[in-house]
Amino acid sequence: MNIKNFTNGLIKENPIFVQLLGMCPTLAVTTSAVNGIGMGLATTAVLISSNAAISILRKFIPAKVRIPAFVVIIASFVTIVGMLMEAFTPALFSALGLFIPLIVVNCIILARAESFASKNGVVASLMDGAGMGLGFTLALFVLGSVRELFGNGTIFDVSLLGANYKPALIMILPPGAFLALGILLALYNVVQIKSSK
Amino acid sequence: MKDILKTGLILLVISFVAAMSLALTNEVTKDKIIEQRTMANELAKKEVLPEAIRFEDITGDLAIEITENFAPIVESYVGYDNSDSIVGYVFKSRPTGFGGPMEVVTGINLNSEVTGLRVGSHQETPGLGAKGTDEAYYEQYAGKSAAEMIGVSKTVASGNDIQAITGATITSNAITVGANASIDAFHMIIEQGGVGN
Repeated sequence: MNIKNFTNGLIKENPIFVQLLGMCPTLAVTTSAVNGIGMGLATTAVLISSNAAISILRKFIPAKVRIPAFVVIIASFVTIVGMLMEAFTPALFSALGLFIPLIVVNCIILARAESFASKNGVVASLMDGAGMGLGFTLALFVLGSVRELFGNGTIFDVSLLGANYKPALIMILPPGAFLALGILLALYNVVQIKSSK
Repeated sequence: MKDILKTGLILLVISFVAAMSLALTNEVTKDKIIEQRTMANELAKKEVLPEAIRFEDITGDLAIEITENFAPIVESYVGYDNSDSIVGYVFKSRPTGFGGPMEVVTGINLNSEVTGLRVGSHQETPGLGAKGTDEAYYEQYAGKSAAEMIGVSKTVASGNDIQAITGATITSNAITVGANASIDAFHMIIEQGGVGN
């Protein structure tokens, strides 16, 4: 049961390729593979903890004011994590600090709080948060790799296409985010349709 | 009526707890964060003016004159070597980039040569403007002449020009504005006969 909550987010209900959630950070930060992973892991950490917090408080929060309550809890959480990181793990903060404010506006966090954590137990919510977070990380990594490969000829700064490759700069510029995401979504759907036949 | 009161009270409790935890975290982390930032600051000064072993803040009328006439400079320092003679000046400026203010630290030695430049805190786009913090970009400034202004070239860097970050001309221009304001302020100090004379 709990395993299914975890694996759901990876492929079958992937937050990006299936639910199309959190498009703003997805499009903005995936200019390289390493940025995709950084943003993905930072989001995963927040998602797991916010899912747990919302799940614990779900009986205490009245249905009518649940959205403002979720927003307050999530925003405080992210701010606290950001301050603690800057104070005690400066190296980690300089790598991921840039993404922290972007996480607050990531609607995956709110969407999972609303549609899962507010209706399920703590363990199931933790599993859901981890699965969705890693699914998000996976999608950002794929998107970032594709954009970095075509836009810069590298993945993780390792040159893959040789010195003669003329990078298609548009791929790391904002329009490239839409192009790459559109093509990846099409491919994902082709595979899903083929495998369901 | 009773329902509204109860709902409101619960929301109040949530907000109160959130505010309290934010205040507590801030109390615990604020000194640490300032300490981390000062350390990064000291390190940046040494990196941009390696000949100096000790720095002193420029204060008083001269500091006011610099910040008033050479915006966006916010702070300036004198660098001394181990025999206590002045070897150069370091300027911290805060030009406006694509995502808001960025911190640019520029070092200039007495031979009228830019000895280094670093970009501190900023909110530029990861993968584009954020490349201003990459060595490949900032090392371009080291060794440039402070006898003339530094220019920004979109194609090939030549003479006293640096090559802009691809897709982030606004960021490159902003960093260069900081560098050029430092050059202007440097000449003003030299014309006045240096600091402390």
